[in-house]
Amino acid sequence: MGRAGLEAWRDGIRRVNSAPALVVGVWALTLLVAVPMAAAMRSLLARHLGRSLAANTAASGVNYDWMQEFADQAAGLGVTFKPTIIGFGAILDNLGAFLDNLDQPVVIVAAALLYVLLWVFVAGGIIDRYARDRPTHAIGFFTASGVFFFRFLRLSVLQWLVYSAVFSWLHPLLLDRFYSRLIHDINVERTAFAIRAGLYLVFGVVVAACVTVFDYAKVRAIVEDRRSMISAVVEAIRFVRRNAVAAAALFGLNFGLFLAAVGMYAVIVPPVGGTGPSMWMAFLIGQFYLVARLWVKLAFWASETALFQSQLAHVGYVNRAEPKWPESPEAEAI
Amino acid sequence: MRGTQPADLIRDHVVCTRRIRDVLITTLWISTAGSSFVSAQPGKSGAITPPLSPRNANYTITARLDPAARTITGAETITWRNLTSRPATELQFHLYWNAWKNPRSTFMRELALAGSSDDEPRRAEDWAHIDVTTIKIGGVDRTAAKRFIAPDDDNQHDETVMAVGLPQPVAPGGSATIDVAWTAHVPRPFARTGAIGNYFFIVQWFPKLGVLQEDGWNCHQFHAGTEFFSDFGIYDVSLTVPHGWPVGATGVQLKREDNADRTTTHHYYQEDVHDFAWTTSPDYIERTARFEHPNLAAVEMRLLLQPEHASQAERHFNATRTTLRHYGEWFGGYPYGHITIIDPAYQSGAGGMEYPTLFTAGTRWLAPARVTTPEGVTVHEAGHQFWYGMVGNNEFEDAWMDEGFNTWATARAIAEDYTPNFLALRYFGGFVPHVVREIALSRETDGNRLTGYRHDATSDVPATPSFRYFPSTGGSITYNKTALWLNTLERWIGWPAMQKIMATHFTRWQFKHPKPDDFFAVANEVAGRDLSGFFNQVYRSSDVFDYGVQELQSARDGDRYRTDVVVRRHGEAIFPVQVDVVFKNGERVTEQWDGTDRWKLYSYERPAQALSAQVDPNRVLLLDVNYTNNSSTLEPRGGAAATKWSLAWMVWLQECLLSWAALV
Repeated sequence: MGRAGLEAWRDGIRRVNSAPALVVGVWALTLLVAVPMAAAMRSLLARHLGRSLAANTAASGVNYDWMQEFADQAAGLGVTFKPTIIGFGAILDNLGAFLDNLDQPVVIVAAALLYVLLWVFVAGGIIDRYARDRPTHAIGFFTASGVFFFRFLRLSVLQWLVYSAVFSWLHPLLLDRFYSRLIHDINVERTAFAIRAGLYLVFGVVVAACVTVFDYAKVRAIVEDRRSMISAVVEAIRFVRRNAVAAAALFGLNFGLFLAAVGMYAVIVPPVGGTGPSMWMAFLIGQFYLVARLWVKLAFWASETALFQSQLAHVGYVNRAEPKWPESPEAEAI
Repeated sequence: MRGTQPADLIRDHVVCTRRIRDVLITTLWISTAGSSFVSAQPGKSGAITPPLSPRNANYTITARLDPAARTITGAETITWRNLTSRPATELQFHLYWNAWKNPRSTFMRELALAGSSDDEPRRAEDWAHIDVTTIKIGGVDRTAAKRFIAPDDDNQHDETVMAVGLPQPVAPGGSATIDVAWTAHVPRPFARTGAIGNYFFIVQWFPKLGVLQEDGWNCHQFHAGTEFFSDFGIYDVSLTVPHGWPVGATGVQLKREDNADRTTTHHYYQEDVHDFAWTTSPDYIERTARFEHPNLAAVEMRLLLQPEHASQAERHFNATRTTLRHYGEWFGGYPYGHITIIDPAYQSGAGGMEYPTLFTAGTRWLAPARVTTPEGVTVHEAGHQFWYGMVGNNEFEDAWMDEGFNTWATARAIAEDYTPNFLALRYFGGFVPHVVREIALSRETDGNRLTGYRHDATSDVPATPSFRYFPSTGGSITYNKTALWLNTLERWIGWPAMQKIMATHFTRWQFKHPKPDDFFAVANEVAGRDLSGFFNQVYRSSDVFDYGVQELQSARDGDRYRTDVVVRRHGEAIFPVQVDVVFKNGERVTEQWDGTDRWKLYSYERPAQALSAQVDPNRVLLLDVNYTNNSSTLEPRGGAAATKWSLAWMVWLQECLLSWAALV
């Protein structure tokens, strides 16, 4: 079973690499949300700096005094401009916020929801492409995206319910109440940290299990052309249960890729430079890392698709007919 | 590593020159005043000859800790002398632990007002109390006469001050002998006091006299935001704890006796101190080291360390050496000859607190180099041996006189010995540090905590008694504002004058109880000028300082350029500031503005166009809450800087979005 996971992982990576346009596409999706917000942030920063000489040190390196002064008067988007954005701290900040379930400013939550919605839209096209394992071109991609958008929107409601329970109930239960009780009389920090790390692991396993089930629900919805998302989730749970070792091994391998991407960035992230080429170099390295992260995200979906299809009688089977524009009723539907 | 620019070389040269000058001044100071630093001979017995203080409140205490029941049973004999010119008719005692008896005490109500509370309700055994079982004055049992009073707020539920009428008045210069027996329950930690697991940190733990002044007893209730005040004296204390449990305490251990009941009695003694604190835990590991200096008395250092911090022992010692050396050179010597450093247990809440000859530091299991944990807190708390321990101001009323002085001095000492030190951010429940090597913290703004002050600048007037500050913002006034105005004063009148002011104040008021006006008088006297206008603004008002360049215009007018610079006072507070105007041909014009008017126009006819104008270019006025508006340039780089930082922020944002997308 573990071998099946390894095979699917290899197959998934091959499928992702055979469709580089998808990686570029989801990266563009990220830019679509991030660029307008970055422009808004630039405007806030430029307005605060104005014609001040403080801009000289802010331009050539880090002007921490100015950063703090800016933060003290900031509202909305501006409150997120902190030293946490510098270098590898940005990754730790987001990872920490995820694991500690920290509140995000409303404007960031709104942007994130928009971004999630875009992912819900493209998910059908992406998984359909990996399931067919051959070029579907823009027509096929957007047709599948359109066909599955409302199904996945319904699935998102289920996901929202589950993740709400995980983050609003389970997380506080584990990492606030349970953790507080466990360390109540602990007076050794490393012991407390070990306990917290253990609870992170428990929480992480639960999140991973949920992610895995919902991923396979999407895969089954596409491969088997399912309309009921509840049945897709039920069947996904059955699949994961029957192929627990392979699914777990596959998740572990993909998570390893995630760690490798993060580790790579930790090594290559440059220090803050000036406003010339070093600024663009730092930005490009950041984008390179983000593309790597997106590639890993797609590797999850592609390899999970491969694993599911490997269990079918006909490897590469997809129930729904490939759309032929303009005769395709699915294409007409969008 | 930052590149070396010509400006850096010039600054380095200036710094180097300043350092040489400082060393010369310090050497001169020690050679002239140093004899007084070592005149009092510290003994290995805790005895000091001749006495340094009035020694009018002397305590002989015996106490026994029952760690299982978390109780202390104690008895004390106090020999008290009336130093005032009026007869005393009653005594007032602090019973600090009653602040944690229930949520109705003044301390707990203030804590709630500050928005601070436990995550979960406390269990009954986690609260504290101290009960005086008998009190005899001059052999006369006065137990029935004791009563609780609430001089600060009339809170009938507050039992932190106990008054007892004297059987007969104590005349000026007269003495009384008081015998007190009490029992106390050790809480789960409150305000650095209590027990967690087998770690006990026992402070403010015995019935303790207030301070009798000419206008009566100064014996405040225990408040959430302020600390303590008491007379100097001799402490002779015997503590009985389980066998094998090391004890750290104020003073010198004279004797240790094992008892038949598997306990050990530790006998500690110290003269010329105004409090006694102690701690015990079987987990402590002990390290010792010595501070030596050519002009200052040697100090034996004892460190009681948590096992998980064993590798950080030398960092604690070096930070303590930093304090003993610099504070000793700047203000005056440390006379006790020994100091005990306590590394508090995790979750004990005991980190960062001062007691005579003993202080708690505070570190983390993961403590990267070049980040001042534990150095920052160690230097600060060791520094309190000088500002609080020796110069014994009233921390209830004038907390800024030790906390503010010490924050300023800590920042100065850290800058001397720990430059560069970097910002560290902590993640994953605060356990994992990440060092931001791009951000080297500065003494002036980070060490003096400008950001905290900026938040709370108008929250209270410093002249308000400290215990009446709003609980959640009082620290910004006590610590931050004071450090900022002291550093501003230093940059204004120069370090030699500043050092002389502080050293004179220290020498004049050590082992006494100075008031704010005493410090201001010393400052005016030593500086040789009237600084009252400055003190009035920083101490007797909550006005903020904010100067800025409102307008910079420079346009061709014939064959020359006409330049107009408008500088403006945005804040209410006034300070003389320098205004620099730089022209594109390199010419620099420096103006001195008294800063009084709301705005001032400077006009110039020059062959070259202006490049920039700046108010307070040397940042003398560290209290200026908005320094970005202090300058304006005709070649602005705000857009370029904003682009750079928005790109960096965008990477963070994209990464954040990916975290959310992981759940799709």
